[in-house]
Amino acid sequence: MSALVVRPISTPEHLAFVRSRPSVSFLQTPAWATVKNEWRGESIGWFDGVTLVGAALVLYRQLPRLKRYLAYLPEGPDIDWTDGDLARWLTPLAAHLKSQGAFGIRMGPPVVTRRWHAATIKQAIADPVLTTLSAVPADESDSEALEVAAALGRLGWKEIGTEGGFSAGQPKFNFQIPLSGRDEQDLLAGMNQQWRRNIKKAAKAGVEVTRGSRADLADFHRVYSETAERDHFTPRPLPYFERMWDALTAEEPDRLLLYLARHDGDLVAATTMVRVGSHAWYSYGASTTEKRDVRGSNAIQWQMIRDAREAGASAYDMRGITETLDPDDPHVGLIQFKVGTGGEAVEYLGEWDLPLNRALYLGFTTYLKRR
Amino acid sequence: MAFDLEVDAERWRRGLRALVEHTPGIVPVIKGNGYGFGRDRLAVESTELGLDTIAVGTYAEVPAALAAFGGDVMVLTPWRPFFTDVVLDDRVIHTVGRVEDIAALSAGAGSGSRVLVEGETSMSRHGLDRHELAAAVAALGDLRVEGFAIHLPMAGSNLGEAERWAAALEASQVETTTFYVSHLTPAELTILCERRPNLDVRPRIGTSLWLGDLGALSVRATVLDTHLVARGERVGYRQRPMPRDGFLLVISGGTSHGIALEAPKATAGVVQRGKSLAKGGLEAAGFSLSPFTIDGKQRWFAEPPHMQASMIFLPANARAPQVGDRVDVAVRFTTATFDAVNLR
Repeated sequence: MSALVVRPISTPEHLAFVRSRPSVSFLQTPAWATVKNEWRGESIGWFDGVTLVGAALVLYRQLPRLKRYLAYLPEGPDIDWTDGDLARWLTPLAAHLKSQGAFGIRMGPPVVTRRWHAATIKQAIADPVLTTLSAVPADESDSEALEVAAALGRLGWKEIGTEGGFSAGQPKFNFQIPLSGRDEQDLLAGMNQQWRRNIKKAAKAGVEVTRGSRADLADFHRVYSETAERDHFTPRPLPYFERMWDALTAEEPDRLLLYLARHDGDLVAATTMVRVGSHAWYSYGASTTEKRDVRGSNAIQWQMIRDAREAGASAYDMRGITETLDPDDPHVGLIQFKVGTGGEAVEYLGEWDLPLNRALYLGFTTYLKRR
Repeated sequence: MAFDLEVDAERWRRGLRALVEHTPGIVPVIKGNGYGFGRDRLAVESTELGLDTIAVGTYAEVPAALAAFGGDVMVLTPWRPFFTDVVLDDRVIHTVGRVEDIAALSAGAGSGSRVLVEGETSMSRHGLDRHELAAAVAALGDLRVEGFAIHLPMAGSNLGEAERWAAALEASQVETTTFYVSHLTPAELTILCERRPNLDVRPRIGTSLWLGDLGALSVRATVLDTHLVARGERVGYRQRPMPRDGFLLVISGGTSHGIALEAPKATAGVVQRGKSLAKGGLEAAGFSLSPFTIDGKQRWFAEPPHMQASMIFLPANARAPQVGDRVDVAVRFTTATFDAVNLR
């Protein structure tokens, strides 16, 4: 096998590569660098001779007062993880990032290790002994993917510990609805009774789901801020969403879609969906406290799922869940809501670090722990 | 030669019946030396007890088990593709613990065989990781799953681990509700059955069944000769000098009976090690304590045991037995071989 070379690539080159692939994470699109404007973004490519064979978006985060950076490849890089020789991909990556002033690398290989079907999770939640996903036999395990973890360990990478599946970075456990080869009837049949009932209820109540334009982001943001207050999280400002809109829709017109659910003219729920190739993500969601009984949230999800399927997506991704299956854990509500859609829990390889400068890396991770 | 196991048959069988009655679904384990009784005898006892299945350790033990027992015979050692003594029979239940083995057994001559799927416990000896169960099921092909098995360690409480595996089995794609377990106490078994009413829990029990009532068993060795010896007198194959005046006893029971075969001690705590150091005495002189009890005390070997007899030193102040007398021996039943097993 020949050696691979890593060097920066232009945005058009990167985008062309993304378009040539079945799917990569939206966090690995060149547009995402524009959204994360507090980080310095760089598109890099792996070259086998003159052929571009892999790509990544690197976000550089500067250490306070030092010209040294953490190089972060969220849900990336997009390389051939099944190549038996990962060193040939990761060694030139480390060399390039070090030359750019990185003291450490953090990445999240987009490699699925295990899957649990909805029925399995439902049964596990009902069983008091099974309190985490890891304790439940997976319905599918990918031994090749598990081997990647061992290979990373041998190459000096360390998995970042997560607490219940939520780390500072991207979630290790996600929930997805497979869409390939399924029609609407099949998707509805996979849902639990409550989901089906709520979807019907919303339709009966006359909830209307429409696609919004950039101008509707302000409406979305109003409901989103209300949700943030209710659920006790810090909302992102409106300009963040406007920037996301501009950057993502410039890349592909339907990269980012805004959905609005109205009842009698009142906005009751609003969401965004991102799509890259055959993968669609539900990214942000908001709902009003008023009129919860018209089930705008279920109606809007159902519309996104159908649209994702029609657009040719093979998976509708509801993103992070915690690992807990403990009925007493408040986080279990989130997984129960998602399990109701009949999809599957998906475990990724997690986020991995490679320290390039041991002292700085140690200082950085200590700082993160104290934060 | 007479190095015999004396069994108070009525008392021993009373113990067996009591345990079997209190342990629904029990599968007796009959492996190795048959816990001193011999495997054939235990197979016959299992039939008498009305049991439908016995468990043997290895494939080498299967043919005799099939001959001596009319029901099913399960093999505890997981099947491996390189085993040359595998017995394929409809009464044999194989254990599988690796996905590749399942595929190989299913694809080979064993297609259609009955299998137990084993999960890897904290024993870390054999078995599948819980996340491999789906792949195992996919590899089954024509194999018929008779149950799921776990082998638990003996240290501490095992109930938690047993229940985690029971829950994992119920949430898995493995289509069986029969759950074979080992090394749970009767109380733990009861709790497990109560908490997992959907599972048919079947305990596999060896030692606490066959050796559950040691009071019904005694091991007797026959004194073959006695000699008076003086301090410094050299005796035996190795011509070692005797430490004091006393008797030299030649007693039936040597290495061929399992005498002085040492396995690492199960108890290896600081206290235990301190105790054996403190014994001092003849041990310090290079003598070893024998398992023979004479005149109320465990006595020292005069030299390493022979193949079929042992030479024991008895100090002059002890009451020496006569030729033909029988003395008690403490043996590890799983390593002992008796000249005869006498059920009386």
